[in-house]
Order: sequence, then C-alpha cells, then structure tokens
Amino acid sequence: MKTARLTTVWSALVAGVVLASACSSGTSSGGTVTINFPYLWGGPEAQALEGVVSDFNASQSAIVVKGVSSPDFQKQLAEMSGANGFDVSDNFGSTVGSWASKGILEPLDGYMKTDNFNTGDFVPTALQSNQYQGKTYALPIAVHTLLLMYNKKIFSDAGISGPPATTSDLQADITKLTKVDGSGNITQLGMRSPDYVTLAYAFGGKWYDSQGNPTPDDTGNVAALHFWVDNVVKKYGADKIKKFESGYGEYASAQNPFYTGKVAMTLDGEWQPVFVKQYAANLDWGVASIPYPDGRPNLAGATQLTSSMFFVPKNAPHKQQAWTFLKYLTGPQAMTKFTRALGNLPARKSILGSPLYNDLPQFNVWLDSLKSPNLRIFASLPSTAQYQKDLNDEFQLIANLQDTPEAGMAKVKSKAASYST
Amino acid sequence: MAHRSVYRGLLFASPWIVGFLVFQLVPIIASAYYSFTNFNLFQDPQFVGLHNYQRLTSDDLFWKSLFNTVYLTVFGVPISLTAALVAALALNMRVRGQWFFRTVVFLPTVVPVVAATYIWRWLLNGQYGFVNEALAAAHLGQPLWLDDPPWTKPALILMSLWVTGSAMIVFLAALQDVPGIYYEAATIDGAGMWARFRHITIPLISPVILFETIIAGIFTLQYFTQAYLLSQTRFNAASGGPENSLLVYGLYLFQQGFVNLNMGYASAMAWVLLFVALAGTLLLLRLSRNRVFYAGE
Repeated sequence: MKTARLTTVWSALVAGVVLASACSSGTSSGGTVTINFPYLWGGPEAQALEGVVSDFNASQSAIVVKGVSSPDFQKQLAEMSGANGFDVSDNFGSTVGSWASKGILEPLDGYMKTDNFNTGDFVPTALQSNQYQGKTYALPIAVHTLLLMYNKKIFSDAGISGPPATTSDLQADITKLTKVDGSGNITQLGMRSPDYVTLAYAFGGKWYDSQGNPTPDDTGNVAALHFWVDNVVKKYGADKIKKFESGYGEYASAQNPFYTGKVAMTLDGEWQPVFVKQYAANLDWGVASIPYPDGRPNLAGATQLTSSMFFVPKNAPHKQQAWTFLKYLTGPQAMTKFTRALGNLPARKSILGSPLYNDLPQFNVWLDSLKSPNLRIFASLPSTAQYQKDLNDEFQLIANLQDTPEAGMAKVKSKAASYST
Repeated sequence: MAHRSVYRGLLFASPWIVGFLVFQLVPIIASAYYSFTNFNLFQDPQFVGLHNYQRLTSDDLFWKSLFNTVYLTVFGVPISLTAALVAALALNMRVRGQWFFRTVVFLPTVVPVVAATYIWRWLLNGQYGFVNEALAAAHLGQPLWLDDPPWTKPALILMSLWVTGSAMIVFLAALQDVPGIYYEAATIDGAGMWARFRHITIPLISPVILFETIIAGIFTLQYFTQAYLLSQTRFNAASGGPENSLLVYGLYLFQQGFVNLNMGYASAMAWVLLFVALAGTLLLLRLSRNRVFYAGE
C-alpha cells in the first residue's frame, strides 16, 4: 500500500518536472506581441539604438521590442540554430551569402511586395551585398569605409607638413615617426598594423575575380603585404612589434593607442569622429585618403566598403512583427537618427547629403570617399567566412615573418580550391 | 518480492537512466551517424560516407589542433601531477597549521574557471602583467606569453599548476595509506629520504599515480575552456590564438560544428578523439604493467 502511493507520488513528480521544463515561455499577452532584438553594438552605440527602439515602441501599440546588447558572433549564430530564436538582429553584409545558402535567413521579398516597400533609395552596392541568388535576405542600415587617420601634433613635431599622398611618402613618414629606445623597444609606432584586405585594394589588388573565384595571390595583394613586411616588420623586428602591440588599450576607450599617441597613423572608419569626441576630445587629428602607389594616381581613393545590415532569422517566432520593425529601422527617420548618433554613413542615398552631419568634425571626408570610383567590396558568398578566416590566419603568419607574402598567399589559394561555392 | 524491489530500484534510478539515454546514449549514436554525413543543422543531412574522415587527414588545422592537444597532455600532465605529488608530500608532514596550508593549496580549485582565466589573462600580459614583473625582478627573460605563439601553451601549463588541488588530495589520501612501519624499517636499515621515497612511497602509491595519469590525460585531451576564453577576440569571432597555437582539439571541433556549421565534420573529429584517448589509455596501461604494484599481489 505504502509503496504504491510512494510510487505514484514519485512518478507524478518526475512527470511534472519533465513537462514544466518542456514548456517554452509565451511572448504575447492581450494582443501586444513582444519581439526579441539582440544586437552586436555595445556601450554608447547600444544606447543610441535603444533610443530608436523606444521611439518605435512609443509610436504604436501592437508590437513591443525588447533590445539587448550582445556583442558575440558565436552566441548569435547559436541562437539561430535552435527551434525558437530571436526576431531581428544585425551583422555585416559579408555574412549574407554564407547564411542565405544554408537557409537560416528569412527571405524578405514577399514582405516587401505586400507592403510595396521601395528599395530604390538604398545605396546600390549595399543592397546588392544583402542579396543572394536574386533574393533579398537583409536590409542595409549603414555603409563603412576606411581612411587614413593621422595625429596632427605628432606630424608637426616631426616636421611633416601634411598626410602622405603616395606609398613612398607613407614609407618615409612611418620611418620618421617610429621611435625606438636604447634597448631596441618601440616607444612610438608610425602606423598601427592595417587591415590588409583594405591595404591590398589601395595597391590595386583584388580578392576575387569576376567569376567569384578567390584570388589571394593577386600581385596587388602581395605588394601590399610586402609594403608592411619590408618597411615595418623587418625594420623594427617582429617580436618588438608584438611586444608593443600587447600593451595597446581597449579599442573603444580613451586608451586606444591612436588616441594616446602610441601610433601616429591608423586606418579606421567613419565612426571615429564620434568616438574621438567621446574618448579623446583634445586630440588634434586629421584624415585623408589612403595613399596610392607611386606612379599610379588612378588608384587614388581606393578603400573597402562594408555594410551593416538587419535581418530576420528563419527560426524567428514572430516574423510579421519582425518585418514591421525592420521596415522602421531601415526607414529614413530611424536610419538618420541612428547613423547620426553612431557617426556611420547612412545606407540611403537621400540621407547622404543631410545637414545633420555638418557638426561632426571631418566626417565629410568619409562622405566624399563614397564617391570614389575605386570603392571595393569583399564579395558576400557562401565561402566568404572561411576565406576571411584563412586569410587572417595567414596574415598573422606573414606579419610574424613565418611565411613570405608569396608563399602565404599561395597557401590560401590552394585552400580556396576546396571551398564550397 | 524480488520483482517488486527491482521495479522500485529502476524507478529510483529512472532520472539517471532517462538522463543517460537522452543526453548521452542517443547523442553518441547520433554523432556516429552524423559523422558520415554533411549536416549544417538547418538542412537535412546528406550521406557522404567516409568523406569527413578523409578530409581530416588533409586538413592542416586538424593536425595542428591535435599537436597542440597532445603537447598539452604529454608535457602538462606529468608537470602538473608532479607538482600535485610534491604538494601532497609537503602537506603530509606534521607541522603546525597543516590545516591552513592544505586549505590554501586547495582553494584555487574552488575559483570558477572562467573568472580565473580572465584574471590570468591580465597576470600574463606581456607589458603590464605581474608574472613578467616578477620575472623582471629576478632578472629573468620575460616572454610575451599569450601573445607569443611558442609561449601560449607553456602559459596554459603554468595556469594548470595553480589548480593542482584535486589531484593533490587524491595523492594525499594515497600517501596516508602507506603503512608507517615500512618507513621505520627502512630508516633502521639506513635508507635516506630519497631512497625511502623511491623504494617505498612510489611503488605503494603507483596504482594511484596510474589512475591520476589516465584521468588527467583523458581530461587534458578534452581541454577547451581556458583555450576558448584566452583566444577570444572582438565580438567573440572564432579564433585559435596567435598562429593558432591555442587551437586545441576541442576548440577546433567546436568551431567546425558551431561556427562553420559542419556538424558532420565535427562529429567525425569527436570519434577520432575517442580512438586517440583509447589508444593513449591502452598504451599507459601497457607501460604500467611492470611498474604498478597492487596491494595483495
């Protein structure tokens, strides 16, 4: 008798625990739908985005958006692989090819058609990088370019009148501005180690051919890598540079090595006017196009264009509401507010000339960079993430003098032969 | 009567049985199946036979990660077990405040591994870390530790010396099991401290040394947490540390499965690791045959 009752109680307990853990939390109450919006931005940029979110929440009562700052690529992808994920998030345009080919992004064409959503105002290259095999999988919020920022005070102290125009000027400036103490340790570096993909574009290189095949061994790419290896790494020593770099402060803080004068030049993006205002208000700085190789002025103004986009994952629980919010986020009003707060270049042509950006010091240089005919994009294909990782691994080896630029890029070329297209 | 008690026993064991089936046995069988497929979690798995295993042989990151892990095991396990044994010997001595020293040596194992790893990241910083300041004060060279490819794994081994507490406790228990009369007899016969250690202590605790070596070896082959945390970059993009020197086997498996969404490939890697661990364990057991003495033999 006793054991039978004990058995029943125990079974009920186990069953109850199993059932309770299997229930997922509901997200709607009385007609209002709550959607989840994790995003990669953090700090003041996240706060700006939250301002846009509260504007949206205040403007209507059918949808409540819950935003959360989650600067973690791996966590984002993990959430997209379960049964129920988040509703809207952001990433870079270069991931669309890979994700769309795996079927984890919700195609937006149907929603755009139903709402008569016009995409003609978007910057064409930005919109293209959010498409895969003719379908649109994301909408761009901002585009980004990298330019050469330089510390005006360090320049004038060294007697240099202006930013370098050609790569030999750049070479000379780096030499003049790199200081080494008695024991061979670097105390000031002429230039922070650059994004090699962008530097390759400046040297006329390309990373894909017109058929979409990777071309890491292009002569321009190798020339860019040689520029850095021969003029900086071999000159000052790979381990001395590593030691100097290990002491760099956080990127988004007052200890950023460019703000503290540890490096005299750096390649960086259009959000820097806002960052400098925030973290280094007294910095005397300037910005110019990336130098072009001597004798090839037709390459002037070359830089890499990347884009940030918003997307709806395939496993979003509330796709229709997610689309409504997505429309708002990439609409002119929200885009102006958000990109102005972040100091990003907006992805809508109509906003590019807005007087709102006039009070951002030197932002106009990045605006003008969008007009260059030498603007390059890294293609968004299914193999892009793998290609970028293999390139970054090889760049590290080359910067540490473990591989020559030629040998390193040849290695990546042979790895690329096995990429799934 | 016997039926009733079996039934009751099974019922009480049911949570564990359910857990084992759902979280261990079924996933094990599933991963064996997936290792013969291309599976990206979002689309149906496509059967590809032995293709994943063949790809492994030509993937140099696979060999690099295997090398990194075997390096940590072959060097890290003897070093940390020696440290644990030395600590246990020291803590076996009757001194005042023995309880205090034992607590202090064991305390690091209680610190959460994630918090400890982030603290170590700053302790090991090349320019500002305390470890390098101490080395500088002793007029020794100061490597860049986590930023210098040849020094990242020694940094991991250094970190593991800090948490020898759990192995130390096992060795301490084994040491206390050695009957004191052997030591007395040896001392009367004129044996010195080292001779007593070599001929009495080591043989009598050798089963425990073998056990700890196998356990530590299997554990280190699955090394993941500290390598994952210390190779993190901005936005937690997938990384293997400088020149992939921190890319341990578990980390590469994780990246293949959850970043590149090659679940079939990751499953194949998991089964290869099982066979590597099996081979290692069998080798250790073989080598131990004439070196381990079990009581009663």
